[in-house]
Amino acid sequence: MAEARFRERSLLRKALSPSHSCATPLELGGLADGSLAQAAAARLRDHVSGCARCQTELTLLKDFENATPGPDEEGVVRRISARLERRFSEASARPSPWRARHGAAPPRRSVFTALNLGGFGLAAATLAAAVTIGLREGRAPELAQPSPAAATVLRSAGITTLSPAGDLDLAPNELRWEPQTGAASYSVQVMEVDHAEVWSAETRDASILLPPALRARMVPGKPLLWEVVGKNAAGRAVAWSGTQRFRIKR
Amino acid sequence: MGVAGGSEDNRVCSTPASPGVSSFDGVVLEALSDADLVSNHLAAGGSGTSIWLQELFRRHYTKVVTWCLRVAGDSDEADDLAQGVFVKAQRHLGAFRGDSTVSTWLYSITRSECLNYLKSRSLLDDPLDDDVAEALPDDPESRPERVFELHSSVEAAHALLDRELTDTERRVFILHYGDDMPLLTITRLLRLENRSGAKAYLVSARRKLARALRRWRASEKLTA
Repeated sequence: MAEARFRERSLLRKALSPSHSCATPLELGGLADGSLAQAAAARLRDHVSGCARCQTELTLLKDFENATPGPDEEGVVRRISARLERRFSEASARPSPWRARHGAAPPRRSVFTALNLGGFGLAAATLAAAVTIGLREGRAPELAQPSPAAATVLRSAGITTLSPAGDLDLAPNELRWEPQTGAASYSVQVMEVDHAEVWSAETRDASILLPPALRARMVPGKPLLWEVVGKNAAGRAVAWSGTQRFRIKR
Repeated sequence: MGVAGGSEDNRVCSTPASPGVSSFDGVVLEALSDADLVSNHLAAGGSGTSIWLQELFRRHYTKVVTWCLRVAGDSDEADDLAQGVFVKAQRHLGAFRGDSTVSTWLYSITRSECLNYLKSRSLLDDPLDDDVAEALPDDPESRPERVFELHSSVEAAHALLDRELTDTERRVFILHYGDDMPLLTITRLLRLENRSGAKAYLVSARRKLARALRRWRASEKLTA
């Protein structure tokens, strides 16, 4: 029974997940508001009209654009929105993370464009720099002071993470993910739930051991986030895992 | 660097802003487009937050938070999730190329964060799947995956979904089986107000597909 259901779910997931022909949310948005280039729009319109998956995505996008809280949601949405506004206002009153760390003005966007990072920016560059120094000196990367990471990473291909995820009985010893074709090395980052960096490192393997000092920070009930960026031999980011979350059970 | 939305396009209030209207260096923030706010934020260095970023986010808090609340079904989790979306948006703003609206761009981040959240919180094993299975006859030949096994292409199977299912049944079916989205989350996300929510639509969809498969097999026998 369980095996039949697993097979059923695997087959359906494969058949109903977005295919290579499916439009991305950005393309669907362009199709809906007419901003997509004519040739691309014509090609996508043909596909979307016969694709139940894309039609569902388009409906969700429209629902999102028009999302207003119902009577049962209004109070909570107002409270959370007010908290978010306070957090981002407070953040702007503090020195920028880059200035706080380095005592200098942050590099402008054009610097990264000139470096041809192709949309992958400061996160990968900062991780790579920090970790390269760590590797060269033959020591484990140190825990970073909690501070919001100044980062720009663009999702291109996805890396599938294996563990940790969800609620765990024990603090994990390592982070593991599936090897990504074209990735020569990986930059990993562990963060607080507000995305402040706790630890980062680089490896050529599809896993990395976590240092005791980091594991000591994993107290029951406290969620942590992690992500991994795959980089090609030239050091350019080619894949990203998205943010994963885990915590030790209370 | 100049501020987008300058006096040449008549979007600047030349007199002091009226009470309740935000202004910065004489610019009425509410009058600026989302794209102007992004440009101004990036022109100001693009790191950390700025008055431009705050205004930009303020315009989109409600829809992102509402979406996150519907996905998580819990205010604390929705708070964390929405904060993650805006932190990611802040980090990635330099990669925003203006070839979509900010709202669509935020949707793509929200969608990705919400699916990762569902995956990481181990919510994908949906207890309601047992209820769905119990409501249906246990006929291996009528299971929904047979739709895809028996049709020559995914396109043909999608055409069958289009033909046999109502819009809501099709959306529930795709979100549950394609994205592993729990039925309670789908109920909230699609604002389904019937008593058993998405579960009823899934049971109905599977019954219809089972009937379609039986018809299809009968016609194949006749042809043979």
